[in-house]
Amino acid sequence: MDSNNTSKKFKEQLIKNVKKEVKQIMEEAVTRKFVHEESGSITSLCAAVEACLSQGLRRRALGLFKTSSTTALLHKMAKNFEPASIISQKVQEMENIDPNKPIILRRDSMASPRICPSCILNRRGSLTWLLFSNEKSVVVSPFRRSSSLTPARICTCTLNRRRSLTWLLFGNDNSDSCATRAASVNSTLTSSITLPNVHPPPLTKKNSAGSGLGPTSITLPKYLWIRLALFEKLLAVIIDHLVQNCSKYYEKDSLVADPDYGSILSSLLVGPCALDYSRTKSHDQFWTDPPADELVQRHRISSGYHTSPPCRTPINYRRNLHATSNDDNQRQTPISAKDYVESLHQNNRVTLLYGKNNVLVLPKDVTEPMAGYLSLHQTANSLIIKWTPNQLMNCHSPGTNQNDHPEIDASDKSQYWDYAMNVNVDEIVYVHCHQQGNDNGGTIVLVAQDGVQQPPIHFPQGGHLLAFLTCLENGLLPHGQLDPPLWPQRGKGKVFPKLRRKGRSQVQDISNDLSSNTEESRDYVFQIISKARHEEFLSRGEEILDSKIWSMPSAANNMLNKVRGHLESSSTNSSTSTSSSLDPVASPLLINNQTTSKDTGDSLQILCETMKKQIISRAFYGWLAYCRHLTTVRTHLSGLVNTVIIDSSDAETGLTKEKWYSFKNDSNLVNDDTKLEIFRLTYFGGVQHDIRKEVWPFLLGHYKFGSTVEEQNAVDLHCKQEYETTMSEWMAVEAIIRQKDRETMAANLAKLSSESTSGGDAPPPTPNTSKVLSQELSNDVFEDNINFSSDEDNPPVVDDTQLEHNVEVCDNPTSQPNINEHLENIPKEIDCDKKSLSSDEGLGKDEVTEKDMTIKKNTSEDTSLYCPTSVIVTTNISQEKSMENSNDENDKIDNKDNNNTSKLAVDDNEGAGGSNHEQRSACISPASSQGGIYPVELVENFGLNVHRIDKDVQRCDRNYPYFTLENLDKLRNIICTYVWDHLEMGYMQGMCDLVAPLLVILDDETLSYSCFCLLMERMSANFPHSGGAMDTHFANMRSLVQILDSEMFELMHENGDFTHFYFCYRWFLLDFKRELLYDDVFTVWETIWAAKEMSSSHFVLFFALALVETYRDIILANHMDFTDIIKFFNEMAEHHDAKTVLSLARNLVLQLQTLIENK
Amino acid sequence: MATRKKVLLKVIILGDSSVGKTSLMNQYVNKKFTNQYKATIGADFLTKEVMVDDRIVTMQIWDTAGQERFQSLGVAFYRGADCCVLVFDVTSPGSFKSLDGWRDEFLIQASPSDPDHFPFVVLGNKVDLDNRAVSTKRAQQWCQSKNGLPYFETSAKEAVNVEQAFKTIARNALAQESDVELYNEFPDQIKLDGGSSDNRSSGGDNCAC
Repeated sequence: MDSNNTSKKFKEQLIKNVKKEVKQIMEEAVTRKFVHEESGSITSLCAAVEACLSQGLRRRALGLFKTSSTTALLHKMAKNFEPASIISQKVQEMENIDPNKPIILRRDSMASPRICPSCILNRRGSLTWLLFSNEKSVVVSPFRRSSSLTPARICTCTLNRRRSLTWLLFGNDNSDSCATRAASVNSTLTSSITLPNVHPPPLTKKNSAGSGLGPTSITLPKYLWIRLALFEKLLAVIIDHLVQNCSKYYEKDSLVADPDYGSILSSLLVGPCALDYSRTKSHDQFWTDPPADELVQRHRISSGYHTSPPCRTPINYRRNLHATSNDDNQRQTPISAKDYVESLHQNNRVTLLYGKNNVLVLPKDVTEPMAGYLSLHQTANSLIIKWTPNQLMNCHSPGTNQNDHPEIDASDKSQYWDYAMNVNVDEIVYVHCHQQGNDNGGTIVLVAQDGVQQPPIHFPQGGHLLAFLTCLENGLLPHGQLDPPLWPQRGKGKVFPKLRRKGRSQVQDISNDLSSNTEESRDYVFQIISKARHEEFLSRGEEILDSKIWSMPSAANNMLNKVRGHLESSSTNSSTSTSSSLDPVASPLLINNQTTSKDTGDSLQILCETMKKQIISRAFYGWLAYCRHLTTVRTHLSGLVNTVIIDSSDAETGLTKEKWYSFKNDSNLVNDDTKLEIFRLTYFGGVQHDIRKEVWPFLLGHYKFGSTVEEQNAVDLHCKQEYETTMSEWMAVEAIIRQKDRETMAANLAKLSSESTSGGDAPPPTPNTSKVLSQELSNDVFEDNINFSSDEDNPPVVDDTQLEHNVEVCDNPTSQPNINEHLENIPKEIDCDKKSLSSDEGLGKDEVTEKDMTIKKNTSEDTSLYCPTSVIVTTNISQEKSMENSNDENDKIDNKDNNNTSKLAVDDNEGAGGSNHEQRSACISPASSQGGIYPVELVENFGLNVHRIDKDVQRCDRNYPYFTLENLDKLRNIICTYVWDHLEMGYMQGMCDLVAPLLVILDDETLSYSCFCLLMERMSANFPHSGGAMDTHFANMRSLVQILDSEMFELMHENGDFTHFYFCYRWFLLDFKRELLYDDVFTVWETIWAAKEMSSSHFVLFFALALVETYRDIILANHMDFTDIIKFFNEMAEHHDAKTVLSLARNLVLQLQTLIENK
Repeated sequence: MATRKKVLLKVIILGDSSVGKTSLMNQYVNKKFTNQYKATIGADFLTKEVMVDDRIVTMQIWDTAGQERFQSLGVAFYRGADCCVLVFDVTSPGSFKSLDGWRDEFLIQASPSDPDHFPFVVLGNKVDLDNRAVSTKRAQQWCQSKNGLPYFETSAKEAVNVEQAFKTIARNALAQESDVELYNEFPDQIKLDGGSSDNRSSGGDNCAC
């Protein structure tokens, strides 16, 4: 029993593993666009399947003694199962590629130590495959020692899946053999390889697993057959076959033979077998399109050191002035910790050239040198050196899912972000190298153009300093170089000996205090010469204000006494290259400088003078641009915010219950004077949830501040009456519509069945039948009209008595005044009918439906009457009769027209106009529907709207518990009422979303309706065809982005479409209702309402801007275009941190206010 | 196995509101169905990598709002489409009737170089429901009248025919993509017989309910 239990548990565990892996792979398929064949999750899945299949295998019976593999099982199956034989054949083919060893042995030698770490890793994350693919491409070849750039790149490419490669590196702090950029990763696994060169990935298809790492080894992946079967989508079939025939291959108590688990196993694999696996990817695809949540996740890691974009200076006027190539560089210059994280994940724009852990750096204000990760990254146009303290890197252990700990004690880590280095090599002029003793490591000091030194970087022993310099030099090519070059005899394979040359090379006597304790002979200085810098400068033409040129002398000054020789050459360089293009004033000076370049003192002086002028002019232009810019801001954007800045002090708590009641109790009503305070509290802190129901009507203007309770009651009563009146009006029409729907549907069904029974070629409907149909339809409309039109003493709300009354009347189809018009309208009408027809038996119409049913029963007696012919008869009768009576009836009915129909029923009933108005006052009852004759257009139009409303109401927030059928009904009523009153506007998708939060809070139909109407005063203009407010929003957004985030603006400008701001469409249309969770929607909405009084009546713009700004770094870093952004924000919906965004939005308003005020 | 140029196929899904456009897209891309979808506002898209005749292509499938008046927004989304999927609800003749309008709208907005041969694929969705109101025959007739558009009866809910339909969509879109170059060489080939196709489409109208 015990053993039974444990085996059961074991099986459970096995199945659980498979489930987990299946889930993983399915998720991968969803979040990415494909599952790559080398994905780690495939390996994990295969392992899990293998484990299941191995359990209880009848090895002896099958002759599988030596091996734990199930491959032999496959070959066995292949004899009598077609899919298995396909796979078996493929496996054999692939094994034959490798001439060395029988593959099975190798695959099964899993106990080899090298595999172990990867197995462990595999359990932690899905890095296994990465490591294997990495091994495969690195083959030790003692003959090729020169490290050239290209193969190294290939290697780094294969290394890069976008998962946290570097975390892995940091998890293995003890590995100390990183010699070159490529080796940095390899060494974690293969410490024996110190200087691997790179062999291009072999072309063989499956060569990526590696346990036997021989000189020419090409190894097959683990679980080859399972993997292949999965790719061929046959795995589920094969396993199913195994399960069916388990007795043949498996012990009785095995998992496969288990009646439950066996079938579970095979059915679990159906999903993965339906996926597409591919490996013909360009390397780019390894890192393209991470889903939004991962982008945010990555970003979050660095959020401890948030540069908080909103807090940047509001205007980068200078950048606007000199926007172009200069800006690109600046964008690449990482300013936030995010970039560390971002670029440590290699992506398609940034290549990792070098990485070394445990490099010591002594940051400012720190007494002990700290260990950290040094890396060299190449972007499109610059090199970046990064150093990140281990404390930061280790805060996420490789196995930890970062999702679980988004908020890692930011305060704790933030100081380390301050220590982290991020240096753009473009800005570095000198690299000082100091070596202590024989191979005791080395120290590098980077000196920037402005003379500022970066903290010394101390490399551990083992030639890492040299390796770093090698990579740096390679990275600089082709546009730059180290001077003196490290290895003038490059290509001769003398990488190491070069170091000896330093003694002879231009020895720099560094009297720097930093270097005082080092051996002079082992110190030297490299200058970084960037050709690109000069070319760039040339291309810039008259732009004399280039920062790189003018900042040169300051560096020069600092270094004057130390590195004179270099300076000489550099100033010459710069002057020669600049002189040709500089403006007339500057160039003679520089040419002069060139000629007298021997006299360094003079040349420097002249240079400095030039610089001085340039600095002054630069400042002047900057100021000028700033002034112009502010003018633009004031002209275009001052309307967006209120001029008065409201103090936020003590308002963060928001409007609490206590405060609200204290306001109320003071004067027993919400005083007009307290209005501002209430708005202020709401704006800065929101309203406490319990009292929203009370506060919202005030915020929205349903109740006036300062109104008495009686007044409020009066308002409510008035609204209620109006609401009910309108409702009874449209409900009457709706009854007609329902009736019509039924008829049309019946006709359709009849047609459908006739079509299907007619077999062969169903003839297109003849004119006859269509005529019949239209008559039927118009007739229905008609009869319903009578119901109400001939009914004089209706009670306010349509009820059963009325119905009975109606029934009586409609048995007498004589009062049909305008049958002729109707008949004329038939062709048009029937078209519309079909359009508006819906089979929807939606919600929210039980009342009506009941009535409908009654009417239907009485008018058409029986459903059998749907038969067209019988309807024709009715029509004919009624037509004749109406001919007789039409004149009399006309007048009679017209008189019964009341206020509503006189407005809406612009019917063909002549002479109705005048008499109607007299009737209106007499009609106190809200049942205006009683006598309505509804013009066809009206019915059509409203019918169309009702059908749409039904569709959308049903779909509205189905997952939100409040929306039970009953409440959906309310929702529907509100919208129908609104649409009835605004038929010219009609129903528009999105209205549901606007009503829903109101209804949730107010939980009262009438009140919600009234508030919705008030809300729509602002919102309706956003909807298409009704105001074009959306375009204004977009334009304003554009201006705001331009003013408040020029960097973002440039990105958007690059991608032309982007400026359309379509991604904001839903935001503005629904006041962010779809972007946020319900609780947040409430807060944001009330803030928007309060903002009108407090700061800006366009607060939505600022909230939208805040949303964009929240993710600006992600958007910029990933260089998102129009579609990327749409996708990003759609995926991010309901994942925003509304509180932060909201305070950011308030902040942005404040920024703009300050900007405008500051004259 | 040669690495060919990566192909991006833009597919637009059109059709009346609540015919199941979002569901179809999600069923195809994510293999999921939920009855929790709300009315689409604005536009969204999903991408999926598929293998079409040994070529890997990325399908960018755009889901649009169903209410016509939102379509004026769609111009930006329509442009550059390689295939247009017209969806109707087999239980709603109205949505079937609208196909003409959607097709015309698309042709006007996207203005493809060869409107007569632009690949449309017609999907009759919700075949899992039993209150069917548009017969297969009628749908097929309509498709026939439009130069024989491919027609599929699908159920996004039960994943019936969805995969097959989108396979066709991908294939036709890909064909369109490669055709474009051909047609560009002979711009004169653009046929001006829009009138005749209109006639045909009105003929299609007659057969509808």
